Amino acid sequence: MTRRVIPLALFLSLLFVLQAFAQVDPGVRGGAAGAGAALASVAANNPVTILNFFNDAKARFTEIDSVSGTVAGEDGFGLGPRYNSRSCVACHAQPAVGGSAPAVNPQVADATADGARNTVPSFITSTGPVREARFPFFFDQFGFPDTNRPNGGVEDLYTIVGRVDAPASCTSASGTGIPQPGFTAAINTGNIIFRIPTPTFGSGLMENIDDSTLLVNFNNQQNNNVGVGGTFNHNGNDGTISRFGWKAQNKSLEIFAGEAYNVEMGVSNELFTQERPLPGEDQNLGNTGLPAACRVNPTPEDHTNFNTTAIGTLSDTVQFAMFMRFLAPPTPSTTVPGGATSIANGRSLFNAIGCAVCHTASLTTSPSRFTPSLGNATANLFSDIEIHHMGTGLNDNVSQGGAGGDQFRTAPLWGLGQRIFFLHDGRTKNLVTAILAHDSSGSEANAVENNYDLLSASQKQDVLNFLRSL
Amino acid sequence: MFRRTTQALLFLCILPIARAQESDTPTVPLRKLPTDVILVKGAVPSASDTSTPLPEGGVVAKDVYNNDYFGLSYALPSGWFEKYKGPPPSDSGAYVLTLLRPGPTDKHSSRGTLLITAQDMFFTRLPGQTAKETIEQTKETLQPDYKVEHAPSQVTVANHAFTRFDYNSPVAGLHWYVLATEVRCHTVRFVFTSPDPALIETLIKEMDAMKLADANAPLCVAGYAEAANSITYKVDPTWTEQKYNAIPVRIIIDKAGKVRHVHVISAFPAQAKAITDALMTWRFRPYLRDGQPVDVETGIMFGSAPRAKASAATSVNARRSSD
Ligand code: HEC
Ligand code: HEC
Repeated sequence: MTRRVIPLALFLSLLFVLQAFAQVDPGVRGGAAGAGAALASVAANNPVTILNFFNDAKARFTEIDSVSGTVAGEDGFGLGPRYNSRSCVACHAQPAVGGSAPAVNPQVADATADGARNTVPSFITSTGPVREARFPFFFDQFGFPDTNRPNGGVEDLYTIVGRVDAPASCTSASGTGIPQPGFTAAINTGNIIFRIPTPTFGSGLMENIDDSTLLVNFNNQQNNNVGVGGTFNHNGNDGTISRFGWKAQNKSLEIFAGEAYNVEMGVSNELFTQERPLPGEDQNLGNTGLPAACRVNPTPEDHTNFNTTAIGTLSDTVQFAMFMRFLAPPTPSTTVPGGATSIANGRSLFNAIGCAVCHTASLTTSPSRFTPSLGNATANLFSDIEIHHMGTGLNDNVSQGGAGGDQFRTAPLWGLGQRIFFLHDGRTKNLVTAILAHDSSGSEANAVENNYDLLSASQKQDVLNFLRSL
Repeated sequence: MFRRTTQALLFLCILPIARAQESDTPTVPLRKLPTDVILVKGAVPSASDTSTPLPEGGVVAKDVYNNDYFGLSYALPSGWFEKYKGPPPSDSGAYVLTLLRPGPTDKHSSRGTLLITAQDMFFTRLPGQTAKETIEQTKETLQPDYKVEHAPSQVTVANHAFTRFDYNSPVAGLHWYVLATEVRCHTVRFVFTSPDPALIETLIKEMDAMKLADANAPLCVAGYAEAANSITYKVDPTWTEQKYNAIPVRIIIDKAGKVRHVHVISAFPAQAKAITDALMTWRFRPYLRDGQPVDVETGIMFGSAPRAKASAATSVNARRSSD
């Protein structure tokens, strides 16, 4: 009996494998980067001098930080004491400045740059995605995750200990300094999740979509026949709809820039004024927080400069936001990959099977006081900016604002064609895997993913070609 | 070349088995977080007791989908199964009751799905007030990617009045046949999707065998807990952490005007507790039908609900549950 069954099972799984290979992700679209330029009206310097602000902002976005700005070629001021990488562009690089995780992960070199003595955690590899790590729960006294104490804050990978520009007194050897987070224990207990960088092209348009536009779009989806619900995440302070980050947890580009400067690079600023300890650092080190020896610079490290030039006056944080806000949305290809017919067909299929219920093809922005290209513009973002339940398969047990563990912002799909890594944790480089991951227990996308499964191999290929054309 | 690939693929197929055996050697037991449970939840449903049936309480058991709240008992198409449970109800009162698909034992290797959803009509953001109206609206707002196959029409299935609407997507080669009815002021929809219309017709015929009865259900009355003249005592619930979410709640009021049951459809735990505790103290004038007090079920919205269905929303508009 079992004898007969095994070859049959093998045969069936072989069939399955062959079938699964029938349609393939065409891979990262080649050619010139379809993103990274300024919005048309910014490039046209409208209003006058805006282009200077953009160019200065871009330079700041690409600047490498050292602890006190004294390392040659690393003029940025304020790195650490804890950090994930050393410049904004390190993580936001693909396919151009402002984008997502690049092909070569800078975090491998970051570990030991300028004499730093960090161990590269096992989940950071040079060909893998840039990653930010979080522990969903605090650990109990026995070293196990305590599910009654949700954590979810970012655990910076590295410290400045040992760097040429760090004081010798900031050391982790004696226990008075700052050790790296306990990643091994977190991995062994499954108490770790990852987030990869989201691209920022077109983010100024996303910032300028009025809440009422989002609500109308939400109402229009309600009559769908694919079981999609959805809701919005809100800013805890003023109750308006928040929109940036994998869970739409942040309100504006400026807040995100301030937080990223503080969390990813360890630079205190006017929005996040203190050096940032790890979420559990107070508990772990006897409620003393970051030791004084490691808090090298006066705070805030980034601030408004009292200066005679308009551009020079602005803080880095304000300029980072300006750069991202003025980045043009990605330009899709009409012919690559697969040809115009396949792409057009894929777009229709994407609508027909219900992907577009969440991945709303376009939304219109409000009038803008910044620059004409941001106002009354069509943002082809392929997102409703809602958060949706994505089920146990994508759940990361991190709650942010109103979003629970399995709720994520519908990922905007513009620029997808030139992205390398997909889903919030960068678990795959394969679009097919990303689509199949929509189907799991408790997901709002199950019926839509089932519709995708009902397509023929060539129809699926059209969908993939369409996605890679974006 | 093909040989080599086949061998490699065969090898890949065997690999998991070999690996599984290897890991049979006992290792040090480690407390690891489960990967198949959502431990940190957002807004979730809750209820004041565990015995009163809830819309989200349906289960598939022995190839039958049973939902006591809707009095629904539906035998799955032969060989089909519920692979995954749906999401929790939305904060606009939308439920995925179940999603059924052909399983590995399906003899006809049929291709299709059946999605059963419910929309609480007390909290709908759609202009339509009835199952018929919402289905007609589906037709009116159908995107250009779809074609109408049969305009909405009234049909009887399992002795129940349904509105049926068939449409398809020529580009996808998929058909959607939708049947909607009203139960306890919910629009319950059966959405069949398949490349094969004959398969759907067969499945729709089989629907006649299902049970759909809410004989013992309380009358559902819109706005009864929001109308000043029906409430004799109320306290407003308060909670500290503002999340700006909409919190739809259903309550059942007994013949004496006391709140018998509270169903918080979507809320954070502190909100749900505050609302449930407050509502249990509310008192109403008994609802009279033909001069006799009866149990009623009604809805009330807490939290920061966007009031968006402006134009079509009517004031207190008592409706009988379909029976
Ligand atoms: C170590 C890598 C890393 C560095 C350095 C980094 N980021 Fe990010 N960035 C991320 C990750 C990861 C996310 C997604 C975070 C999340 O949502 O959980 C992100 C998201 C963002 C977003 C949200 C965009 C959207 O639409 O969701 C903005 C804006 C942003 N980063 C700006 C910046 C700026 C400005 C800097 C420099 C101060 C910076 N980032 C530095 C990794 C990085
Ligand atoms: C219920 C809403 C919903 C539906 C329906 C839906 N998606 Fe998504 N999609 C999401 C969310 C939310 C994410 C982010 C998930 C994550 O990263 O954990 C996402 C992510 C993606 C990604 C990865 C993007 C990235 O930035 O890594 C792709 C590709 C994608 N979706 C394609 C599709 C396609 C194709 C369909 C139709 C078959 C579809 N989606 C249907 C909500 C949806």
